[in-house]
Amino acid sequence: MDEMTTDVDLAVRVEGLSRRYGPVRALDDVEMGMGRGITGLLGPNGAGKTTLLSILATINQPDAGRVSVFGLDPADTAQRVEIRRRLGFLPQELGFHRHFTVAGFLDYVAILKEIVDRRRRAEEVARVLAAVGLQGMAGRRIRALSGGMRQRLGIAQALLGDPDLLLLDEPTAGLDPEQQLRFRELLSNLPGDPTIVLSTHQVDDVSAICSHVVVLLAGKVRFTGTPAELADTAAGHVWTSHQRDPHALLSWRGGDNRWRHLGERPPAGVEVTAATVDEGYLLLSHTVDNPSTTRGWRRVGRRDR
Amino acid sequence: MTTPFPDQVASADGPGGHLGGEVLAAYATNRLDEVAAWSVEAHVTTCSACRVALRAFVDRDRLARNRSVLLAAAAVGEPGPARRLLSRVGVPEHLLGLLAATPSLRRSWLLSVLGVLAVVAGESVLANHLWNRGSGSTWGVLVPFLLVGPLLVLGGVALAFLPLFDPSHQLAAAAPFPGVNLLLARAVSALLAALLPVAVAAFFVPGPGWLPAAMLLPCLAVWCVALAAVTVVGATAAAVVSAATWVLPVIVVAASHPALAVVRWHAQVAWAALAAAAAVVAFVRRDRFEMGWTR
Amino acid sequence: MSSDASHDLELLRAVAAGDEEALGRLYDRHAGWLTVRLSRRCSSPEVVDQAVQDTFLALWRGAETYRGGGDVGAFIWGIGIRRLIDALRREGPSMRWSWSTRRSKSSEVVVSAEDQVLVGVEHGRLAPALASLSPELRAALEATVLDGLTTAEAARLLGVAEGTVKSRCHRARQALRAALADAQGPTLPNEHTWGTT
Ligand SMILES: Nc1ncnc2c1ncn2[C@@H]1O[C@H](COP(=O)(O)OP(=O)(O)OP(=O)(O)O)[C@@H](O)[C@H]1O
Ligand SMILES: [Mg+2]
Ligand SMILES: [Zn+2]
Repeated sequence: MDEMTTDVDLAVRVEGLSRRYGPVRALDDVEMGMGRGITGLLGPNGAGKTTLLSILATINQPDAGRVSVFGLDPADTAQRVEIRRRLGFLPQELGFHRHFTVAGFLDYVAILKEIVDRRRRAEEVARVLAAVGLQGMAGRRIRALSGGMRQRLGIAQALLGDPDLLLLDEPTAGLDPEQQLRFRELLSNLPGDPTIVLSTHQVDDVSAICSHVVVLLAGKVRFTGTPAELADTAAGHVWTSHQRDPHALLSWRGGDNRWRHLGERPPAGVEVTAATVDEGYLLLSHTVDNPSTTRGWRRVGRRDR
Repeated sequence: MTTPFPDQVASADGPGGHLGGEVLAAYATNRLDEVAAWSVEAHVTTCSACRVALRAFVDRDRLARNRSVLLAAAAVGEPGPARRLLSRVGVPEHLLGLLAATPSLRRSWLLSVLGVLAVVAGESVLANHLWNRGSGSTWGVLVPFLLVGPLLVLGGVALAFLPLFDPSHQLAAAAPFPGVNLLLARAVSALLAALLPVAVAAFFVPGPGWLPAAMLLPCLAVWCVALAAVTVVGATAAAVVSAATWVLPVIVVAASHPALAVVRWHAQVAWAALAAAAAVVAFVRRDRFEMGWTR
Repeated sequence: MSSDASHDLELLRAVAAGDEEALGRLYDRHAGWLTVRLSRRCSSPEVVDQAVQDTFLALWRGAETYRGGGDVGAFIWGIGIRRLIDALRREGPSMRWSWSTRRSKSSEVVVSAEDQVLVGVEHGRLAPALASLSPELRAALEATVLDGLTTAEAARLLGVAEGTVKSRCHRARQALRAALADAQGPTLPNEHTWGTT
């Protein structure tokens, strides 16, 4: 514990964290630290990303292990409240009171975040609405918003009160391409340099804005490092040629009609090229024994042949 | 800074009879003497063109920022009459804001409470009318009403604490606002919103004159039991348990005694004791109200 | 100008009926001058901004309705100055201008003869008479005559007792009367000649 609290660079520390749902090990002995900047959580469906984020957001309890957020322990009632004061949280499935107006909903969340003064709340609401580009929608009913607008509203509520720690569970799901880029811009321009943890299925997001990546597979941490390091894990495993390659785990034809292959070992004489972050992530999830993903892919590959 | 103001620059607006740009500028930057400023203000009060011209002397960003705050505040929605009344009485404005998300105060819920009460009360009035022709007065007709009253209170409380009815409960759970305060604000408003119509309906059903008062304590007891139970078992189980603490005694008593025995004074003592005990349990275990942290 | 006035009336009506776009447009037309004018009565931009927002919120919530008659500008000013008084009461007295140092007594800007006619400064002997008043007396007169406030409201704006406002106004009028005694200039200003209602 001493070691954890004195480590000023790490806003979030997790040690030996486990969480079971019946027979399912959603998190299995997870060990990680998250510092300033943006940390991306990658992992297939059911990997445990949401479980991890909800534990960090203090709304879920681990079965075993230690969590420390800003040196505070969420298991302690007073410290838990202190964490919540510094937290912005976007749940994966955020529900809305649909009769609320956009501004009314944000006002409600602002009260929950202890912004008592009515005027300060209005200022905060205006600020976060502008941050996600919804300023013209303040008076709209939530039920009249499109899915992507609702997602942006969810991001907006997480920004209320300038949190020091932002936990965003799949924030870019449902956003159109322009809004995805705006989201990156938004995260890069947040005041006060908060610690951000986001889960995503879009490896693009990770390579574009994350300073760190954590790959979760079946409740276990399989990789931590920078996006470049994740790409490096596939170095020497990506090659190109003029036709399909049966040795490859995955092969696809690029726009230039050349085939690109990802596999354990390139055959002799092929042209090995630099790997991308996607390829690092894919290779990792294929080499680790992960029945839910590996089998599915192999079957498709075999039938193709 | 002193700006010389030569005659030839006067009245930039020309023949319209408006103030020149430099006079406006001097006024806006507080460089006119008071008497001249008075005159400017007197003119501006009635002159639309000069009012619009003054806008140029306020920082654009400041105007834009205030504009968006204004539009946000306007869009938050007006407090309804109930909320305005409560804030007169001294309930803090932000607590009332939380109630905006309480289903037990929504019109649809209040209307269904009234609807159920109207049906049940009407039914017992009718039954009493038919029965009293034959035999003497018996309060057996009151059983449906007795059953339903506290259950409506319970329904309101369930709306207040079942996560099912709060689509954004994860946000409430992860927010610093104390879960117990949120739950109590909702539960108390739900209690009041149901208690009032139940007491009023008790005036109309055929029964002794003390019936409206006699309904209050059982309702309160069921409410306390619900709050206590939710600190011990899950929300759904708590709703079931507290419903049973009312329904079972009513049915059992009605089978062997006159139906009203369940709200007569010796029963009232029991309800009071139950309410007190449940309140103590809820108070002692209030930490467990925190949604999400109780499993 | 009359089309402007009818435009303002339309906007006011639309705002009271809950049209958000109209609220934005009404704000665009009136927030600027209101901010300038309120800033002359309160040193804190934050408090002024609050008062401006509260003014438009009052219109939006229908708390204040325009009943025809005077100019829309006068109507909005009447709300604005009262919201400023409310905001000052919330924020405490430190935000008020200290009246003695409020403005330089003589203009830093020389107003041209033509403009003087326009703004009415040279009307008779009123200007020098007003200028000769002490700042406290002038402030009391400004609040009650120019701003159209009641004595109680003026007292709150100036942060003095109601009786003080009354006596200062009385003294101010006496002083003006004396200064104007020889000249056959205009009589004492009342609310209507100053354009406020
Ligand atoms: N409340 C729950 N009850 C039972 N099992 C659960 C519950 N929540 C999660 N699980 C299980 O825990 C595992 C991890 O789920 P989690 O939601 O954390 O995955 P995820 O990485 O967020 O997936 P996705 O990408 O689909 O959002 C899954 O196997 C899931 O079935
Ligand atoms: Mg998830
Ligand atoms: Zn003019």
